Order: sequence, then structure tokens, then C-alpha cells
Amino acid sequence: MKSLSRTPLKSAKLAALAVFLMLGATATAMAQNPRIQTSQLDGLAAKASETVDVNIDESLMALTTKFLSSKDDDERKVKELVSGLKGIYVKSFEFENEGQYTDADLESIRSQLRNPGWSRIINARSKKDGSIEVYLMHTGTQVSGLAVLATELKEITVINIVGPVDLEKLTQLEGEFGIPELGLQGTAPKRKN
Amino acid sequence: MNSNLNSDTDYLWDKTGEPDPEIQQLEEILGTLRYQPRPLEIPSGLQVGKRSFFRGFRNHAAPLAIAATLAMLLLGLGLWLGLQRLQQSPQPLVKSPEAPQVRPVSSPEEKQNTATAVSSPEPKQKQIDSPRNRGNFPQVARNSRRDRNTVIKDQQLSLKQQQEAQAAKDQLMLALRVTSAKLSLAQKKAQNTNVPDLIHNQHKIG
Repeated sequence: MKSLSRTPLKSAKLAALAVFLMLGATATAMAQNPRIQTSQLDGLAAKASETVDVNIDESLMALTTKFLSSKDDDERKVKELVSGLKGIYVKSFEFENEGQYTDADLESIRSQLRNPGWSRIINARSKKDGSIEVYLMHTGTQVSGLAVLATELKEITVINIVGPVDLEKLTQLEGEFGIPELGLQGTAPKRKN
Repeated sequence: MNSNLNSDTDYLWDKTGEPDPEIQQLEEILGTLRYQPRPLEIPSGLQVGKRSFFRGFRNHAAPLAIAATLAMLLLGLGLWLGLQRLQQSPQPLVKSPEAPQVRPVSSPEEKQNTATAVSSPEPKQKQIDSPRNRGNFPQVARNSRRDRNTVIKDQQLSLKQQQEAQAAKDQLMLALRVTSAKLSLAQKKAQNTNVPDLIHNQHKIG
């Protein structure tokens, strides 16, 4: 009789355990998502004097890549750089006056970047010029995402690149599209003679 | 007196002794309210199962738990797939490995060449596969007209795609410029920062 009464309880416990494991796995997978949601900042567009909103998802990226010429050197390099990427998302707001945005506006972005998958590689802050934070997400040994959060007194910029960002290739574009040499981990350091 | 009382008391307790008329009268009056055994009558309108919901739930706890788990798993799977679909883009519009090169067509010969080069293979396959159409000139003419329409549609589609791709390319360049500018600024700021500050900026381990 005892065993009969325990069986449903055991099943329920197993079921609950399975649900918790599934939810945990889902939460972990979501935490490892290199895509940052920036729609919370859309409200700032009304206050901004200049807005840049670029949303290039994987399909658009594939289409664009096909139309980039392989003959032109610059376009070929850009093509090589973005060919493996799954998306580039840029949101930038420039305001006429100071104080048009608050830390609360940025908290939603920062909270996403506090997830365990992201690691901050650059955090430069100054009272005059604002701050710049650069984050990378690694999947294994490969970079799977890049995020830049730049704030100035009259400007906010959030950049999110999804996919295997090849920093070496990014470095190779230095000077051609204004892309600098970062000298980050994973990038082969160049010797300066 | 005592014996009288005793006899009354006896009658009162166990109906022995001399009967008391008052008590007998009371017995007659209260006798109508005596318990009379009768079978239980359940009203026909009474719903028996209404209050036994929790008992039924308790009896079927295991199957219900399994069903709830399956439902949760399906829900989780659905959410997961939905998120994956959101992250991943839909199928690319251009299926060919290389984008079709559209150039202005001037001569009719060129038009014909372009038509054969760009037209989709589906109508052609239909022509080959259906032997009834062989030697049927009106059908061929109709098919060629369809081919021409397909070519025009393809050209329009490729033009539209080109426009979309051009716009996307401009957006991509803009995104790269903004990214490069911010990264360059970050690099400069990081280089200008002192070494203790750099150490201060590192994440704590553990």
C-alpha cells in the first residue's frame, strides 16, 4: 500500500525535476544569446536630433554579401569580414541638450551585458567625454558576439554584432573604413619595427 | 410515598412498576416523533461528483503530473523554437549562388538570349516532361509568352533585390563606420588610461 501511495509522489517529483532542468537549460541558453534587445531605447528617438538605427539580420546580411563585389579590394575585405556574421545592429541617438537620457535607459542594456556569456574587455570612463564599454561573448574559443555601449553627454550609441567576429579581419580593415587595430585577445599582435 | 415514588421512578426508567398516567400521556405525545427506520432517499437533482474533484485529482496525480510535464516541455520547446526563429532570419531571397547580373537589353536577339539565360528552369522542365505538348505550337507559344513574363518578373525581382541590397549595403557601411569610430575611440581611451586603472577595470575572478 505504501509503495502504491509513493509512486505518484515519485513521478511528480521526477516531473518537477525535469521541468526545472528544462527551464534551467532554457535560461542558460538564453543567457548565452549574443543578440541584445535594444528596443527599450526607441523612446529616445523622439528627443534625439539625430538617430541612426541599423538593423541587418542574417538574411539581409546574406543578400548584402552577395551584392558586394569581389573585385573591389575594400568591398572584398568587407565581404570577408561580414560573411560569417548573423547580424549587425546599431542604435545611436544624438541630442541637442544634455540630460536627455538617464542611467535607467541604459540599465536594460547593461543588465543584458551582465549575463555570464559576456565579458567586458574595455571600460573607459571619463566625466568629460563619457564612457565606452566593449564586451565580447565567447562560445568555446570563438568570439560569438560583440557589443559596444558608448555614452556621451549628448549621445548614446549601442552596437551589437552577432556571429563570429573575426578580430584579425577587423584589424585588417584598419584605416580603410576607420576600423582600428584593437590588440585584443585572440588577435595576433603585430610587431612594430 | 417512597414506594410510590420508587414505582414511578421504575416505570420512568425501565417501564416496570405502576404506570404513571402523566408519563403515559407524554409518551403518546412524543411517540409520534420516535425514530422510524426508512431507506436513504437521494434527490435526483443532486450532483454527486461536484465535491469529489480534489479526491479525483489526488487519485490521478501521477498522470496529471506527467501530462503537466509534457505540456511544460512542449511549451518550453515552442518558446525555444520561436526564439531561435526570431534570432535566425528567414530563408534568403536569392537562391542562386551568384546574384543575377541585370544589364540593359537593347536588341531583340539579346532579349532572347537574356530570356533563356535568366528565365527560371521550372517552365522548361514542364515542357520537357509533358510529351503532349511536343509539336503543339499554340502551347509552345503560350509557354514562350509565359517565359517572357517570367523573365520580366525575374528582372523586376532582381531590380528590387538590387535596390534592397544597395540599401542594405549602405546600412552596412554606415554600421561599420559607426562601429569603427566607437572602437577607435575605445582604443584611444584605453591606451590613455593608466596601468592601475586598467587593472581596476578588470573583472573580479570568482
